[in-house]
Amino acid sequence: MDLILNRADYLQVGVTSQKTMKLLPASRHRTTQKVVIGDHEGVVTCFGMKKGEAVAVFKTLPGQKIARLELGGLLNTPQEKIFIAAGSEIRGFTKRGKQFLSFETNLTESIKAMHISGSDLFLSASYIYNHYCDCKDQHYYLSGDKINDVICLPVERLPCITPVLACQDRVLRVLQGSDVMYEIEVPGPPTVLALHNGNGGDSGEDLLFGTSDGKLGLVQITTSKPIHKWEIRNEKKRGGILCIDSFDIVGDGVKDLLVGRDDGIVEVYSFHSANEPVLRFDQMLSESVTSIQGGCVGKDGYDEIVVSAYSGWVTGLTTEPIQKESGPGEELKINQEMQNKISSLRSELEHLQYKVLQERENYQQYSQSSKAKSAVPSFSINDKFTLNKDDASYSLILEVQTAIDNVLIQSDVPIDLLDGDKNSAVVSFSSCDSESNDNFLLATYRCQANTTRLELKIRSIEGQYGTLQAYVTPRIQPKTCQVRQYHIKPLSLHQRTHVIDHDRPMNTLTLTGQFSFAEVHSWVVFCLPEVPEKPPAGESVTFYFQNTFLDTQLESIYRKGEGVFKSDNISTISILKDVLSKEATKRKINLNIAYDINEVSVKHTLKLIHPKLEYQLLLAKKVQLIDALKELQVHEGNTDFLIPEYRCILEEADHLQEEYKKQSAHLDRLYGMITDLFIDKFKFKGTNVKTKVPLLLEILDSYDQNALIAFFDAA
Amino acid sequence: MLLPVFTLKLRHKISPRMVAIGRYDGTHPCLAAATQAGKVFIHNPHTRSQHFSASRVFQSPLESDVSLLNINQAVSCLTAGILNPELGYDALLVGTQTNLLAYDVYNNSDLFYREVADGANAIVLGTLGDISSPLAIIGGNCALQGFDHEGNDLFWTVTGDNVHSLALCDFDGDGKKELLVGSEDFDIRVFKEDEIVAEMTETEIITSLCPMYGSRFGYALSNGTVGVYDKTARYWRIKSKNHAMSIHAFDLNSDGVRELITGWSNGKVDARSDRTGEVIFKDNFSSAIAGVVEGDYRMDGHIQLICCSVDGEIRGYLPGTAEMRGNLMDTSVEQDLIRELSQKKQNLLLELRNYEENAKAELSGPLNEADGHRGIIPANTKLHTALSVNLGNKTQAAHAELCISTSNDTIIRAVSIFAEGIFIGESHVVHPSIHNLSSSIRIPITPPKDVPVELYLKTFVGYRSSTQFHVFELTRQLPRFSMYALTSPDSASEPVSYVNFIIAERAQRVVIWLNQNFLLPEDTNIQNAPFQVCFTSLRNGGQLYIKIKVSGEITVNTDDIDLAGDIIQSMASFFAIEDLQVEADFPVYFEELRKVLIKVDEYHSVHQKLSADMADNSNLIRSLLVRAEDARLMRDMKTMKNRYMELYDLNKDLLNGYKIRCNNHTELLGNLKAVNQAIQRAGRLRVGKPKNQVITACRDAIRSNNINTLFRVMRVGTASS
Repeated sequence: MDLILNRADYLQVGVTSQKTMKLLPASRHRTTQKVVIGDHEGVVTCFGMKKGEAVAVFKTLPGQKIARLELGGLLNTPQEKIFIAAGSEIRGFTKRGKQFLSFETNLTESIKAMHISGSDLFLSASYIYNHYCDCKDQHYYLSGDKINDVICLPVERLPCITPVLACQDRVLRVLQGSDVMYEIEVPGPPTVLALHNGNGGDSGEDLLFGTSDGKLGLVQITTSKPIHKWEIRNEKKRGGILCIDSFDIVGDGVKDLLVGRDDGIVEVYSFHSANEPVLRFDQMLSESVTSIQGGCVGKDGYDEIVVSAYSGWVTGLTTEPIQKESGPGEELKINQEMQNKISSLRSELEHLQYKVLQERENYQQYSQSSKAKSAVPSFSINDKFTLNKDDASYSLILEVQTAIDNVLIQSDVPIDLLDGDKNSAVVSFSSCDSESNDNFLLATYRCQANTTRLELKIRSIEGQYGTLQAYVTPRIQPKTCQVRQYHIKPLSLHQRTHVIDHDRPMNTLTLTGQFSFAEVHSWVVFCLPEVPEKPPAGESVTFYFQNTFLDTQLESIYRKGEGVFKSDNISTISILKDVLSKEATKRKINLNIAYDINEVSVKHTLKLIHPKLEYQLLLAKKVQLIDALKELQVHEGNTDFLIPEYRCILEEADHLQEEYKKQSAHLDRLYGMITDLFIDKFKFKGTNVKTKVPLLLEILDSYDQNALIAFFDAA
Repeated sequence: MLLPVFTLKLRHKISPRMVAIGRYDGTHPCLAAATQAGKVFIHNPHTRSQHFSASRVFQSPLESDVSLLNINQAVSCLTAGILNPELGYDALLVGTQTNLLAYDVYNNSDLFYREVADGANAIVLGTLGDISSPLAIIGGNCALQGFDHEGNDLFWTVTGDNVHSLALCDFDGDGKKELLVGSEDFDIRVFKEDEIVAEMTETEIITSLCPMYGSRFGYALSNGTVGVYDKTARYWRIKSKNHAMSIHAFDLNSDGVRELITGWSNGKVDARSDRTGEVIFKDNFSSAIAGVVEGDYRMDGHIQLICCSVDGEIRGYLPGTAEMRGNLMDTSVEQDLIRELSQKKQNLLLELRNYEENAKAELSGPLNEADGHRGIIPANTKLHTALSVNLGNKTQAAHAELCISTSNDTIIRAVSIFAEGIFIGESHVVHPSIHNLSSSIRIPITPPKDVPVELYLKTFVGYRSSTQFHVFELTRQLPRFSMYALTSPDSASEPVSYVNFIIAERAQRVVIWLNQNFLLPEDTNIQNAPFQVCFTSLRNGGQLYIKIKVSGEITVNTDDIDLAGDIIQSMASFFAIEDLQVEADFPVYFEELRKVLIKVDEYHSVHQKLSADMADNSNLIRSLLVRAEDARLMRDMKTMKNRYMELYDLNKDLLNGYKIRCNNHTELLGNLKAVNQAIQRAGRLRVGKPKNQVITACRDAIRSNNINTLFRVMRVGTASS
């Protein structure tokens, strides 16, 4: 059976954060439920649908931005108390909208995530986790990296309280009181946690997680160790996961998995056999899905998936068919409802337009005076700048609550802007003639009407660092734009990892000098992505990184007065050396830099590159042959006369071409890195080999691994 | 939602834009398309047991209902239709870079095979103006040629640049078809037979044209723009980052008006309303669209819209039925409308809130640092723009300059100029580094062509530390001749080339024209006639003199024949002159042209000689092969080896000869283009009837190979003395 869901828009509120919409429990099974949603203006709206129109139950006054909204109540009773987190305050409302709780937590940071279970309240700000019971402080934990979400395994089913933190450094931290019981590594930075089946599954220990690079997984959190149950990799390169819910939308008695992503995709996974989820349904909405829940809102008896989008739209994907089978009369009625809705909206608009006109005139008059000031409308931008592991490129996602008019991209480092399939904006590159202006890239993206989300792909070169700026202009009056800055770090293609191979031949860079722990940490932050801004607790710290392009690794151990960096890639060490000495000079700190170069490491790196290079060369060769082979095929009618290798190319033609298109410039990047490696190897020896680079390129053109290694050794 | 009524997957690739449907036997519509390796395939799903047994056509080894036609050359255009009304069935026309073939598929015979020196980039079939028989009109390098069913060329004219698209459309509503020509110089020209009645300048190469309804026609550009014109006015246009591969007009929603169907390079097909450009239907293919055509492919009396992808996927769509009420997409219109209205409401609310914030900001006292950060600026901030000519210095070439400045201490963070045709992309960004921020900014502009351009400016104004900026949107027009600086006359450098004509206008009006079309310094004061002004080109330093006498006689001295043409055309449209005869002399240019004409003759003779050589060599090959095989049969291995060695050498010679022939051909093409351009340029020096007379007279002169007459025509405008 195919799952067919029809889209119905209900209401628009202000811009929403992740997990800020819930459905209040219904009195009876499959009767319509009320929706509560909190937005950035601080307004909590509760509404129900009556005859296709949204009827508000209550609406609070504006206040601080609402970061989370959860439902709670006494254990084993309907969870219908509404809790919101705004700033550092928690407020509670009854389902009628009466405020019964206002709890100032006195946290120094504003609250980012919240979980409620009975009288237990679990909160997390950027780095701090706090557990309250009946508003009394119980436990506290300071995390090494940003906390994205917090959850607690069901207390009523398990003997002890087990909170779990989803941390940016690709780790789930399972707590016991104020201490970490153990850490679970996950494949990407986890952004959302949810209990499997809404109750933790059979054992009550099953926890679902979603990552910002779109992966989904289930782990069982036993008291001693985690058990990874399954994991869904993000094959289709979809967006990061923002919300998860369990609900039986298919109607087979088993709860399905509902997933909302930041590129607007809503997915439904069913569990068939072996408890492995299977994708049953997906639909593209145009903007980030911030919350998702299964229930019944539009009409009694029809299940639906309710989602809220970044711009504040609450939308239902309902099993209720659009065309009623009961006859033409009913359809007419629906139309009538729609018409009513439209005409009421129109009149509201007219009223608003009149008011705006008046205000505009007022403003015009008043702007004549010399003392008057003109502010610009503030609008919020939801942005994300992340490194993709698969193709070692960055993706920049910009999302605005209203339609984007254009985006101007400026960069003071050489980078490549790649064309993504997902955006339809017309890009125009501008010449950057005057060098004095530090521009290496100037481009404008002119968006098509109704584009609220723009996704760009950027390719950086390691060793070249600086800032990328995006000027975003939405389609609102008066016209205004906001700048967002993104740092391209010197080792931009590195990613945090938790394990490295210690057997590789390593080059070492040692820094010693009169610098504090905070200072050396700030240098590491400056050089490498995914390092928390705040210096971690403790006297010394170790971070591991992996180069996403070449799979080489970097180990950094540092404390006050000393920093040790080890990598199997000479270029990485060379970049670090250049940048660190420059940074230290800038701050007038006397640094002693010592390095220990391992000759074997060069050969090792070349061997790491070898399979990639060979694959690329072979791919290029195959793709070149496709057209000619196809022509032969047309001529001869069959391919029996071809050798199996060529037949194989023909069979895989589409796949090969797609692969080739995806990995454009991959070969050039590899060549660039080999050249860097070559130059860096000899730089440490104190010789300049730039003149020999053309020779190297010649060797690369007729690539042979041994010849290349020999050349590296001989030169 | 509209679904395809049939889907086919052919195992042949389809070359973009080379798709046509014809009833080659008079009844069954068949799809013909160019495919790889210089072949054309004909898909005939109706009669399966048909076998062709001629040299040209053979059965496709891949599919039973496809036959292949060997052209042996890259196909550059293809169409089908009725060329000879007496035959009662359609002919297939295939153009290559050197030839045009009219082919009778049913009888498997050539209707005609003509050599076309200017190549065939585009083809259209139909009746043009008063010419009674249908013509196959091809557009090549600056030339247009029309052939009837016997291969006689009944129509010939030149146009400004290489032709990329052609269409027949009743442009002026007189019941007769005019020819629309889209060319490489971004112009759409309308030919009423061989007279140009209108010219529209676009922003990129025009890749497709199609007639829509009455005088309305659709167009597509190589930068991803598609749009609709009604006569000379553009109705709407949209731009996509993908390229429009093929456009076609078809009434898909059964409302009696044809929509513009566009097939895109990313595999999308969309139908847009001819009036608004609003999308009423879209579908997706897995690969780029090669062509969009229409025909009754199922033979059930209903015309389908047929879309083909480059991978050989073919889908046919029937127009929507009345019950669908034009609603061809799956989302309901009302839902979208509500969304749109709500969005509007949100925007208005945002604006209202902004005014409230402003009111608050006013209360908070004088401007301070924090305000600047939030993007608060004095409300009376104004932006000034000025266009001027900058003569340049050692480091920078001379250019036109746009100066933008604010009226107070606010700074300009960045400027983005949106203007088509004068920058590399569609926009140009100026983003000073943080150290060089100031309240004014100078932007050099060097338009490559003399065309008036609208500059849409977006200026980001704020303070140094701002993270939010005000966007000031302004429009300025860059005059047509902005790359010419007013200089003091210096008779020694006066160009010898000139055009001379008389207009019945007061000198004051000419001054107004000058002011509108040149960037004159503000203090320029021009007295009454007679007067003269002198300009220097910023591009190459060439001089331009414009002299006007009391009698209304105007002399323009310049060595640049294109510039002279531009000035005359600009004046003609400004003063609304319908016909203008001009006397012209460009000795240097004419001398060059004379050389080109001599070269053309040379290349022609070389071409003939090379062809003869090739024929000789092929005879030699034949005999060598026979002799070598004879030797083999006689077991005289030594002789055989020698023969084969000779054959190998001969083959090398042939290959070399081929390369020479190729070079010769490209040179010839280049020169022929220059000749065609010269005729076009001579035409552009005149307006209205004299213009057409010049073009026809030049053509006659070239036909009769009378170079002196040609130059005479170019000088005085007529052949007779």
